[in-house]
Amino acid sequence: MALLDVRSLTTSFHLRSGIVRAAQSIDLSLERGETLGIVGESGSGKSVTCYSIMGLIPQPPGRIESGEVHFDGQDLLKLSDEEMRQIRGNKISMIFQDPMTSLNPYLRISTQLTEAIRVHGDVDEKEALNRAITALEEVGIPDAPKRVQSYPHEFSGGMRQRVMIAMALINDPDLLIADEPTTALDVTVQARVLDIIKDRQERLGTAVILVTHDLGVVAGTCDRVQVMYAGQVVESGDTDQIFYDPKHAYTRSLQKAIPSLKAKDEVLYTIAGTPPDLSKSVAGCAFYPRCPFPKVKEPEGPVPELVELPDGHCLRECGYCDRSQPIEEVLAQDVEEDVQ
Amino acid sequence: MNSSSPASEDEFLVLDAVSQHFDLGKHLFSRASKGVVKAVNDVSLSISKGEILGIVGESGCGKTTLSRTIMQLLRPTSGRIFLEGNELSALSDADIRGQRINFQMIFQDPYASLNPRLTVYTTLCEAIRTRHPGLKGEALRERVVELMRTVGLNPAQMNRYPHEFSGGQRQRVAIARALAPEPKLVIADEPVSALDVSIQSQILNLLKRLSAEMELTMIFVSHDLSVVRYIADRIAVMYRGQIIELGSAEVIVDDPRHIYTKALMSAIPLPDPRSERERERILLEDEPSSGDPETGVSEGDILEEVHPGHFVSTRPFDRQLKADRT
Repeated sequence: MALLDVRSLTTSFHLRSGIVRAAQSIDLSLERGETLGIVGESGSGKSVTCYSIMGLIPQPPGRIESGEVHFDGQDLLKLSDEEMRQIRGNKISMIFQDPMTSLNPYLRISTQLTEAIRVHGDVDEKEALNRAITALEEVGIPDAPKRVQSYPHEFSGGMRQRVMIAMALINDPDLLIADEPTTALDVTVQARVLDIIKDRQERLGTAVILVTHDLGVVAGTCDRVQVMYAGQVVESGDTDQIFYDPKHAYTRSLQKAIPSLKAKDEVLYTIAGTPPDLSKSVAGCAFYPRCPFPKVKEPEGPVPELVELPDGHCLRECGYCDRSQPIEEVLAQDVEEDVQ
Repeated sequence: MNSSSPASEDEFLVLDAVSQHFDLGKHLFSRASKGVVKAVNDVSLSISKGEILGIVGESGCGKTTLSRTIMQLLRPTSGRIFLEGNELSALSDADIRGQRINFQMIFQDPYASLNPRLTVYTTLCEAIRTRHPGLKGEALRERVVELMRTVGLNPAQMNRYPHEFSGGQRQRVAIARALAPEPKLVIADEPVSALDVSIQSQILNLLKRLSAEMELTMIFVSHDLSVVRYIADRIAVMYRGQIIELGSAEVIVDDPRHIYTKALMSAIPLPDPRSERERERILLEDEPSSGDPETGVSEGDILEEVHPGHFVSTRPFDRQLKADRT
């Protein structure tokens, strides 16, 4: 049985201006030692999915409307706050994008790391401190016995993110959720941080959910990928399937929109328009207004289900567009008017 | 100045050995100096009219300080800056203010750089009138409409406020505002870093089209080499306040010579799983984390021309190759 099995998870936010359906009927499953990448633009529901799994959605205004989150045999959505607290930071932990906002600036690193250990286990202070030092050494922080006594502001951005990783991994979690862990970092530091996560994963068999908008990061680290658009998973599959045989119009457009380092003078294609407003309900296909392929018919009715193809590749097949042409021929090379 | 130097006098914008040093002050009792941060150190380069120069480097390498120094928002500690033959660095503060409409900046976060209480129309009018103070009425309105069309905005939206636009549209407003005073040089500091990929490509195409149509000279500062590679004619790689490699965008990306550029290139994640699995990373040892801000690339010879137009620093480099993965 899979370590994590999420079934039709739906999370919305009830605001004065309306109901924002941030994540709609999300399915995902993850085995031990596996890395799942979740890609999508801002507002596509990547973070909301992770926060829902972690039980970190503020309720109200958020509400988990339906779904099940099976982790290691328990349904996390049915647990009490107290039971959830036992799992968070222990069995499942999370790394956030900005380490400065998730570390307490007033407390020494040692205090924050040992707290994480002592909350979840009967460990004395000295033993906890030793484990904290080892954890820092494992993520490559030089001079750890001395640096453990520093405050967060005394570290550079990359070092701070390493501290976050050390803290997230200090109780050897079964599942690590990394929400844009390297977005704020320089490429060289990013490569280092990703290597550290990979290394820990290989040694301890940790399952990782990596949320990112960078397809390059996904290509280098993930076993499987889920592509999200407007709160829905539109396509999922092996990394190779998604990169070399993308099927959904959004995945195919997205790939063409990133500047590549390899080809010379390659044209940069653009996707016209902007992502939809999630507080309005969409008929048929959320990507339809921006879809570059020739339209076959007007979308109507509910959004089609995510269907699994024989090779394990999952796709939300809409049938409102004709995707037989190569993407290069249909995508715009310049969007002149960006009218809402 | 010898002929192989990357700067020559007849160019549009010339930097001649420009440095920007920040004094950290003195210790309270001993009065000993706390040292000097050499944010930009002895940078020489030139940009021709209509060119897009990309500046890349990691955070803290001095790329933003360099662009602020070019705009004379910071007066250089030493060195000279020429725009079309006029020495900017010799002008008085009052004269600089008059010159400043020749430079415009586009920032990373358009929401922070646009006034939230002004409509797009008012914002653009204000900017147009810095160049044409007498313009008003229908003529001014026409100019606003023309500008909005140029950047791909619907002129019917001119009475909207910045918060009524999406992120990409807001960046278009910021670009229109930068173009309004008909600047000679535009400095774009990470203009697409905060945008989603699908929107990022729209803005990149827009900037590229504008530079071709209007012969706009642009300095494009970014940490994202693949973006810079796409938009820039030439790329300057900065490290610790100095340019360590300079050349055409293709040469820098396809045939980097300096070990630091190579390391930077090899760290860029490629959206291609097969080549990601096969490629070798060039890893450097961590930066020496000593408290002395003066360490870093040492003084010495300047850039050496390895190919026509491709310059590589010959200064000794303080970081070693890392033998294995972290």
